[in-house]
Order: sequence, then C-alpha cells, then structure tokens
Amino acid sequence: MSAVTGPADARRRADPANPSIWRQIWDNRADYLYVLPAIVVMLIVIAYPIYYTIELSFFQTPPGLQLRDKIFIGLDNYKAILNSEVFWRVTLNTVIWTVASTVVSFILGYGAALALHRDFIGRGVLRAILIIPWVISAVATSYIWKWIYHSDFGVIGAVLVELGLADRPPNLIDNVDTVLASLIVVNIWREFPFAMIMLMAGLQTVPDQLLRAARVDGASTWQAFWHVTFPYLRGVSTVTILLLAVSNFNSFIIPWLMTGGGPSNASHIWITHIYELAFGRQRWGVAAAYSVLLFIILMTLGYFYVRALSGDEKKGAGA
Amino acid sequence: MTAQSARPARRRGRIDGWRWGGRAFLVLLLLYTALPMVWMILTSIKSGFAAMQFPPQWWPSEPTLASYTKLLDPKNSVGQDFLRFFANSLIVSTCTTILAVAVGVPAAYAFSRFGFPGRRFLFFSVLLRNMFPAVIFLVPLFILMRLLGLVNTHASLILTYLTFGLPLAIWLLKGFYDNIPIQLEQAARIDGATRFQAFLLIVTPLSVPGIIATAIYSFIGAWNEYIYAATFLTKNEQLTLPVGIQRFFSENTTDFPGLMAASFIMSVPVVVLFLVLQRYFVRALTEGAVKH
Repeated sequence: MSAVTGPADARRRADPANPSIWRQIWDNRADYLYVLPAIVVMLIVIAYPIYYTIELSFFQTPPGLQLRDKIFIGLDNYKAILNSEVFWRVTLNTVIWTVASTVVSFILGYGAALALHRDFIGRGVLRAILIIPWVISAVATSYIWKWIYHSDFGVIGAVLVELGLADRPPNLIDNVDTVLASLIVVNIWREFPFAMIMLMAGLQTVPDQLLRAARVDGASTWQAFWHVTFPYLRGVSTVTILLLAVSNFNSFIIPWLMTGGGPSNASHIWITHIYELAFGRQRWGVAAAYSVLLFIILMTLGYFYVRALSGDEKKGAGA
Repeated sequence: MTAQSARPARRRGRIDGWRWGGRAFLVLLLLYTALPMVWMILTSIKSGFAAMQFPPQWWPSEPTLASYTKLLDPKNSVGQDFLRFFANSLIVSTCTTILAVAVGVPAAYAFSRFGFPGRRFLFFSVLLRNMFPAVIFLVPLFILMRLLGLVNTHASLILTYLTFGLPLAIWLLKGFYDNIPIQLEQAARIDGATRFQAFLLIVTPLSVPGIIATAIYSFIGAWNEYIYAATFLTKNEQLTLPVGIQRFFSENTTDFPGLMAASFIMSVPVVVLFLVLQRYFVRALTEGAVKH
C-alpha cells in the first residue's frame, strides 16, 4: 500500500513491473523504522551469540572463559563428541524423550479437545484446570513431582504399597530403568494442554454443515471424524506436532532439576548434557560444538515448520 | 463433574458409547492433571513431621499454615529472602513485558501491512528464534553481559528475556493485525491521516485484546524463566523466584511442606492472570496457527 506513492522516475518507467531491489528498499525505507528496534534487539541477543558459538566450537577455551587464551584446534571438538560413548547414550535418550513426549502429549491433547468440543456443564472449569499445568513454572512442576516420586515418602510409592502392588515404595527416579519414563510422565503432564488448546481452536474451524452432511449420509461417529474432522485438522496438527517436538527437544528444567541427568546419564538429554559440559565441567569448546550440531538439527525442523506455516497461509488465502 | 445423568436415555447406543468414552477419558485426564496439584496443596499445609510419614497422612490431621507464614513474614530471614525474590521476579517480568510490547507492536504491524523487501525473511528469522533452546545462547550471552558489565543486574535478564518475548510478541500481534480489516486505515488515509497516525489512532486501539494477550504471555514467560537467571545472577539479593527457591531448598532439602508452599505461591500470580484473561490468551496463541 505504500510502495507506489513517490513520483515515478526514469528508471522505474524503464521497468515498472520489476524495479531493482535497492530501488524497492529505498522506496520502502520508512517501513524499516517500524521493525528497526526489533531488529536491533534481535541482532544483539541472537545473531551475535550464534556467531560466537560457531567460533568457540573451533577453539579450546580455558575453564575461566578467558577468551584471549583460546587456542584454535579445528574440528577436534566435533571429533571428541562423536567418539564419546556418552554421546550415543544421550542421543538415544533424547530421541526417546522427544518422540514419546510429543506423541503422547499430542494424542492426549487431541482426545481432550474432541471430548471438550461439545458443550456440557462445567466445561469451562474443566478446561481451565487442564490448562494450569502448562501455565505454572516448570521449576514448581519439577519440585511437585520430585516430591510425588520421593523414594521414602512419595505418594505414588505409598499408593502402590497400599494397593498391595509393591512390598515397599519403589524407587522410580533413582533407577536407571525407570527414570526416563518417570520424567516423560512429568513432561507430558506439562505439555499436553498446549496440544489441547491448539486443537480446540482448530476444531472450531471445522464447518458444522460438513459434519451434519456426513451424518445424513449415514456416517458413524468414527467415520465422520476420520473423513471430515481429521483431514480438516491436518494443518493445525502438523504445526502442533512440530512445536511440541521442538519444545520437547529443548526441555531442560524438568530433567535438570529432578535428576540432573542421573543416575549414570540415564536421564541426560542433549540440552542438559550441553549445560553440564559448559557450566559443570567448563568444556566450552565441546559444548559449543554440540550447540552447532543442535542448530543444524533445529534448522532442519525449522525448515519444515516454516513450510507447514506457509502451506497453511496459501490454503487460507485460497479458501 | 463432567457427568450429567439427567439427560434422557437415547437408543443410539453407538453415539452414547463415544460420549461416555469421552467423559471417562476426561475424568482420567482430570485426575492426572489435578491430583499432583492437590497433593502439593495438601503437603504445604502439613508440618514437616507430618509430611515425612509412611504410610502418609492422606489428609493432614493437623493442618497448619506455618509454611506460608514463614515464607511471607518479613520479620524473619526466610521471609525476607522470599519476599525479595518475589519482588525481583515482579520487577523483571514487568519490565520485560513493557519492552516486548513497545518494541513488538510496531514491528508486528509492519510485518502485517507493509511490503518492504526482506519482510518474509525477517519474519521467519524472528519465528525461528523460538526454536532454539536457551542453553545454546547461554555462554555467548554470558560473555556479552560480562562485556557490557551487566552480570548480576536485572537489566541482563530483561535484555535476555526479550530474545524469547519479542519473537512471540511479534508472532502473536501479527496474527491480530492480519485480522483487522485494512479498509479502516484506508478510510483514515483518505480523510487525511498520515500512515503513522492511522497506525497509532485507528489500528492500535483495535488491537488492545492482542496487546493484552501478548503482555500476559511475556509476563508468564519471564516469571517462569530459570536458566538465564540461574546463570547471570549470583548475588542472593538479586535472585528471581525460580532460582531463589532452588538455591534456598538445596540448603533445606527435607522441608517439603515449605517447598510445596513456595511452589504454590510462585504459581498463584500466573494462574490468576491466566484464569482472569484466558479468553485473550487462548485466542492469541491459536491466531497464528489457525486461520479463521
């Protein structure tokens, strides 16, 4: 709306459909004033750190983080990562953590959204209660569940003993076999409301006539869902799953505060491992190299995210 | 609470099967969601001795508010610390919110309305920021803060919180601006308003619900943030609630009623904010992902 208000000059007349990029930038120069403050902040706190991380990953930096004394070591940090046994353990944990959290959160959220779609007494209250775990601090969540899982006085152990399912309270988070699953339960507790909110909003866009028409044609509840609702929600579902996957991949507080990655790395995921390498063991270079690898993974996911979003936009414009 | 037995029974057993299945599912989900929170509250009103029993007291036999009065009493040192953490969290979250909105509003408007080159690229780079975990930015931002002399200041946190507050603000607000008809501004322009006047006087008042939602969002994000605060702040009197509570209870590892009371108090402001303004909040979140 603002691009064509200036007087037309010779160059533009020569090629009115496709003015040069500099021309366009100049013509729209006032537009940039609106985004300038945002860009400046983003440059300081985002572009600079990214540049710095990449640089650090090629150096060995002393524990005190004295940058003047860093030594260039090429790809050694990357080699150190791929050669360590912990790397494969942590990667496997991360995959299990991300996939299990994402899939279960999505299914629970989808089910809740469907069940809450029809109006009934107390629906608003129920919905609000279900969303609360997503709103409160993950620090509070970690402590609440740490107490629930407590090996001597935890309520879960007590219930199991009371029901006669165990002789004495099981030790769920100090046990290599059960710790990851126990933490995933906590993570899902906190993540499924997000899927629920997104899909509830998605459900409101499914046209009622379409569903009614399906019922008139004799479709069962399941058929109406599978052939009408489910395809209609594909766009929202893709975005939700991607956002869940990214946020689960990036989890830190729950594993860090509940177990610190232990026992014997059984609940370390990439992010907690990077944090421990950097701030626990001062291995800045290796931590930075991990971060660069993480960038690459996330950029790949981000590519699909942007594509899913732009696909939505096109569909929205066409409909 | 979800069951309604007063409905007339219907013959279509199949539909009722789905409906009752849905209700049973909701009841289970409610138990999963609510029981941990109920246990937090029940524990917080026990004495330290009553909490450490096996089998546990399912219901506190002698409920007490001692943990709450200890945390909220400015006369003892525990209360002083806790109230200071609370105030620090309030300062940091409020400043972050104001800045994110002030910087995010014009940027989101430009992304929604203007056709400057690089618009799509810049918008998606802003979006992509929220895909990266805080941990990646931790070391370089720590170096940057050391360079700027901001380590151990609240300014370091506010500046950092903008890294996630701002992209979110821009994304949420752009969704709102996209849904405000452009004809309103065109009419204002015809009546002689400048482009900036049209933005400030016509569009901004209409986007107040979006601004409220963005503000709650930034506030909750900043209020709950842990990693940066744990890294940038070392002095006790500077800590925000999440870190303060963690430091505090790493020294008193067995005071579970106190820990639960602190977790409860920390959750109250954000839950109240959310419950009061949830209509804006939910709508804004989904505006960007769902086309109406």
